[in-house]
Amino acid sequence: MKRQWLDILVGTKPLPEDILERAELLEFADSHHVLGQMAEVWKDTATGKTRDVFDNGLLRARFDRNMLRNEMERVERAFMGTGLSPILIKGASYVAQGLDAGKGRRVSDIDILLHEDEIGQAEELLKAAGWAFDEATDNTYDQNYYRTKMHELPPLRHKTRRTIIDVHFKLLPRTSRTKVQSDLFIDAALPLEGRKLRVFTAADRLLHSAIHSFADGSFDTPARSLIELKYLFADIQEAEHEGLLARAKTVGAVLPLAYALWALAEFFKDPLALGLLEKSGVKPSRLICWTISHKLEHIDTAPFAKALLYIRSHYMRMSLPQLFWHLATKSFRRIKPQPELPLPPGFQ
Amino acid sequence: MVNFAPVSSYSSQELAAALKAGSLEVALGPFTARAKGEGKPLRSFLQDTYRDVMVRLSLSDVTDIALDVRAPSLLRKYIRPQVIPDPGFQVPAVPLPKSMSGLAFEMGLNLVVALKCCRFVTFHAGVVANDKGAILMSAESGGGKSTLVAALMEEGYRLYSDEFALLNMPDARLASYPRPVSLKNESIEIVRDFAGGDWVSPVISDTPKGKIAYRRARPEDITEAGETAVTKLVLFPRFEAGVRASARGLRRAEAIMRLIPSSTNYHLLGEQGFNALRKMLDGAEAFEITYGTTDDSMKMVRDLAAKVGL
Repeated sequence: MKRQWLDILVGTKPLPEDILERAELLEFADSHHVLGQMAEVWKDTATGKTRDVFDNGLLRARFDRNMLRNEMERVERAFMGTGLSPILIKGASYVAQGLDAGKGRRVSDIDILLHEDEIGQAEELLKAAGWAFDEATDNTYDQNYYRTKMHELPPLRHKTRRTIIDVHFKLLPRTSRTKVQSDLFIDAALPLEGRKLRVFTAADRLLHSAIHSFADGSFDTPARSLIELKYLFADIQEAEHEGLLARAKTVGAVLPLAYALWALAEFFKDPLALGLLEKSGVKPSRLICWTISHKLEHIDTAPFAKALLYIRSHYMRMSLPQLFWHLATKSFRRIKPQPELPLPPGFQ
Repeated sequence: MVNFAPVSSYSSQELAAALKAGSLEVALGPFTARAKGEGKPLRSFLQDTYRDVMVRLSLSDVTDIALDVRAPSLLRKYIRPQVIPDPGFQVPAVPLPKSMSGLAFEMGLNLVVALKCCRFVTFHAGVVANDKGAILMSAESGGGKSTLVAALMEEGYRLYSDEFALLNMPDARLASYPRPVSLKNESIEIVRDFAGGDWVSPVISDTPKGKIAYRRARPEDITEAGETAVTKLVLFPRFEAGVRASARGLRRAEAIMRLIPSSTNYHLLGEQGFNALRKMLDGAEAFEITYGTTDDSMKMVRDLAAKVGL
């Protein structure tokens, strides 16, 4: 994609006059799941066929919003009377709170976060309410792997509605190189207005988004991730910027935040982000910055940048011996079924 | 802004160049499509089957649909060439021999309309209309829907659509979407008999669905594109060899419940979709018709059409 498209996606630069470029931009936005978000900022000014295309994005986003509202009610119902109050995270929370980052956003599944000690109970409650593990992950190895190495349970799918819920007990895999204090995020969460669920504070929301983009995974939805960071950063008052740096230190997210600030300065020319990055004194790796830029600009090609980010994502996730054993077991399991292993305590 | 003109008004070279550049803009009722693809099979399919459809060679506006008919891999571009429709998102499409590029084009268009275009409630159905209103025919594949559509075209009805009934949500009217009528196996001969050989494309044999040919949309169907009609008659045709023809009236609720599963996007559109569907059925009568021959079905449809004032 072209760098300048990012500004158009968030409405700070006008739609391209050149028809071929405009067509390519709309097709890009659609295939990279940001058409609804783009449509939200342009719906009042776009006309004719451009408006028609945006309508498709708006209608889909409306469906996702309705789905999310229904699912939130079902989740609340499942936890009713237990004293547990799950925290909505990622896209679902932006949409539920009506944040700019959630306007027109696609939501395909719901992510919730609970304290590690509450996971066993939460799992039972969700299962009682009709959610179940998919066949693919309903085996001892996967169940063990998710619980002892990852940061979430295997995805739970509702038996009749087919909706998916991801239940997190950490923000990053247990094996991850970046050590984030997930419990501090949980302790600081606030009630979601009018609901029995909770959400992160504005600062924690941005930090989690930065962690998700730059300390986990291989930056696979660059356009969506950067738009998200831009809106979440804009939600934080300038007076609270110092506090954001302090919070990043406390929770252990200094480096992901630095990459996020670098990206906002680099792609949206945000002077506040640049100032804050300088103040933080952290220097992001130039190689990683280059690969991120390169992957964004050559989103569907860039084999080298893609490979590098892919390798980095595994490097960040777990140590080499761990990765080796995991891949070996996965391949072995394809040939021969694994003997039953006991579940770790607390996960029975 | 360049104006639209029929495919037949352009030379093979012009069309091939526009297809190669991906700048061929095809007008299809309320939708426009940007078509891309290389090679003679696709170009001659469009020249034959889309002969009277309006296109322009250079992109003059953004489009609802962008469809690239391309090789699934570099290998299959050159060795025993194959094509798949690529609408810009993952689709469950089997690669077809390059000679069947036209089929891949049709499959691709159908997938995009079914999965991406949510401005209309989309039903898998055939629609014809005259000045008084429209007949909507909802049937599963093999129900004889396309043959009925083609037969009604001979009786003074305009082709609205063979594949999708497009229900406009604000006014609950059906939009004209005149794409070629897709005919399979035995129905090809039947339609060739009454439509005339010139109106049916050459047969594509050995496709995953057997033999396929297309009954072309006529200029009078296409100039009416962009038009809408009120639904007067909703039919659920069922072909059963040797059975005696019969029609059974359906109540509105039953008709709605039978139409919903045939929609590709009803579940996405919520209340707005439901209200449009209810409003459409308010002004229409619905019947299940069972028949053993095309003649029988036509007699029944004529009677029912007369009854509702078409």
